[in-house]
Amino acid sequence: MNRTTVEVLIIGNGLAGIVAANRLVAAGADVMLLDENIHIGGQLLRQIPERLGSLRVYHPDYVKKIGFEFIAALRTEKIVVRNRARVLGIYPGREVLIETAEKKVSTVKAERILLATGARERFLPFRGWTMPGVLSSGAVQVLIKSSGVLPARDLVIGGSGLFLYSVAYECLKAGAKLRAVLEQTPLWNKIPLTWQLLHQLPKLTEGSRFLSKLIFSGVPLRYSTRIIEARGNGALAQVVSAPVDGKGNIVSGREKIYPTQLLATGFGFSANIELAQMAGCLSAYAAERGGWVVKTDANLETSLPGIFTAGETTGIAGGLKSICEGEIAALSILRQMGRPFGPAHEKRLAKLLRQRRHHLQFGKYFNLLYRIPAAAYLDIPDETLICRCEEVTMGDIRRAVANGYDTPATLKIALRSAMGDCQGRICGPIIYDILAALTGRSQAEMTPLVVRPPVKPVSIESLASYSE
Amino acid sequence: MNREKNRSDNLRIAGIGRCAGIHIRVNGRMITAFPGETVLAALTAAGYKVLKKSNVRGEARGPFCGMGVCYECLVTIDGTPKQRSCMVEVADNMEIILYEPDNG
Ligand SMILES: Cc1cc2nc3c(=O)[nH]c(=O)nc-3n(C[C@H](O)[C@H](O)[C@H](O)COP(=O)(O)OP(=O)(O)OC[C@H]3O[C@@H](n4cnc5c(N)ncnc54)[C@H](O)[C@@H]3O)c2cc1C
Repeated sequence: MNRTTVEVLIIGNGLAGIVAANRLVAAGADVMLLDENIHIGGQLLRQIPERLGSLRVYHPDYVKKIGFEFIAALRTEKIVVRNRARVLGIYPGREVLIETAEKKVSTVKAERILLATGARERFLPFRGWTMPGVLSSGAVQVLIKSSGVLPARDLVIGGSGLFLYSVAYECLKAGAKLRAVLEQTPLWNKIPLTWQLLHQLPKLTEGSRFLSKLIFSGVPLRYSTRIIEARGNGALAQVVSAPVDGKGNIVSGREKIYPTQLLATGFGFSANIELAQMAGCLSAYAAERGGWVVKTDANLETSLPGIFTAGETTGIAGGLKSICEGEIAALSILRQMGRPFGPAHEKRLAKLLRQRRHHLQFGKYFNLLYRIPAAAYLDIPDETLICRCEEVTMGDIRRAVANGYDTPATLKIALRSAMGDCQGRICGPIIYDILAALTGRSQAEMTPLVVRPPVKPVSIESLASYSE
Repeated sequence: MNREKNRSDNLRIAGIGRCAGIHIRVNGRMITAFPGETVLAALTAAGYKVLKKSNVRGEARGPFCGMGVCYECLVTIDGTPKQRSCMVEVADNMEIILYEPDNG
């Protein structure tokens, strides 16, 4: 990484990042595209690396096809693309601290930054969720799609959200025995469908393909059902589930036991906003956007001039929104840079902004539909671990809150939660939800934690390699 | 050794035209992996479920998020501790050490 300045630095090469990169490079901008992942494409475009062979079990759907076209179109001689490059921090004057694959640390000064850092999975802890054999639904998908490996031949999938069905589909295609899909959200709910959802027809057809595969394979689909325990001696052997009532409380006495070696669990997604927060960009809580997101203006510029964000960071709504926002951000950046911006550009931007509203509406529907009820957190037993790294339990949190440590900042100091290796990436969103459930306060009234650099653990050797 | 091999064949999805296998060592034991797989995938296919012990209580932990977020799949790779096995591809003769206290 010998470059020290760049016009536009894009962090994250998922859908939003690659679409923006294409648009910017086409307009003649000098672009650097960084991602810590091994391969380009972010969460959605994971694929079997060519060296490993071709996996014919997957038919790339409509959104993925668009994504792969964008990757192919990236004119790589006009852009610096780096994978396995982690961004550790962003400092005043848009100085960006980067750790490369070779564990060297360096800085790049960017005139504009686009944060396209995407999302990660969200979880609802249950007894035993730290046991080997309990994997996130995304982990199972990644192992199948990027390495062609199934973690076990039989499994249970449990949690909530649409993503579970796509993982279920991929597991079945890969030849796994799927014992059940446990969805805690009721099958019928009270959130009205709006006409805007019709704009998402490709997504809905994809969803029905997943669902019909499950139904034809005879996989039991259990709604209003929550995982309450993972059992096993050192590794998972059984999953225990219980029905939940309309308010989200467990109905006791009706537990069910599923023998299995693998549980894939996930409860939707949570935006990766820590890098933006560390840089000093304002964030906000919005349930309809799927939780905490980066605040932006209509042009996707954050509260810090010259720093833009696009994709899941502004709200969870799936691949089409990331594609749309990638282009919006690119156009906004071009305009701010003083590049030619005529009526055709204005028209295109207006169209994209209209599309974005439909995508947000789609996201809102599913974010509210699959929202984890407060009762689910209140039902977590005291001995259940919440922070996996520092091993803070639900009981620790209950006691601390009862003793007045009832804000994200005071709780963190009291418990050292969110201070371990993952730096709160897993437990952070859970702890905000627990605090809201225990105190009855809305997260919109909470002050988010201050994120300090480096945003990812970095070794002393890496830092030692950094000299100005 | 034979039984291990069967187990690993069993977890690798059929229908992928894989290149010739390579060898990596896990706590001194030789296992087969395929170029392009992550270290985590190779360990998983070989039947390893526990990769490290937790920080405080020393409980067995295995991979969780699979995408570089949770730091539960930390192993020592070629002498460097605390490597996220889900974020590194296998290479011939790679040396993996599991359960090192350093990785907790
Ligand atoms: C496990 C998982 C599976 C998903 N599967 C689907 C699916 O099947 N269908 C669907 O519609 N949606 C899926 N999604 C939602 C998905 O995130 C969006 O559809 C879409 O891919 C988002 O694109 P994006 O560009 O906004 O972000 P992403 O694709 O998430 O890309 C963000 C990129 O930023 C990188 N990054 C983040 N922080 C840093 C840093 N500090 N330094 C360097 N790089 C960094 C990440 O490595 C990542 O590659 C999934 C999400 C997850 C988490």
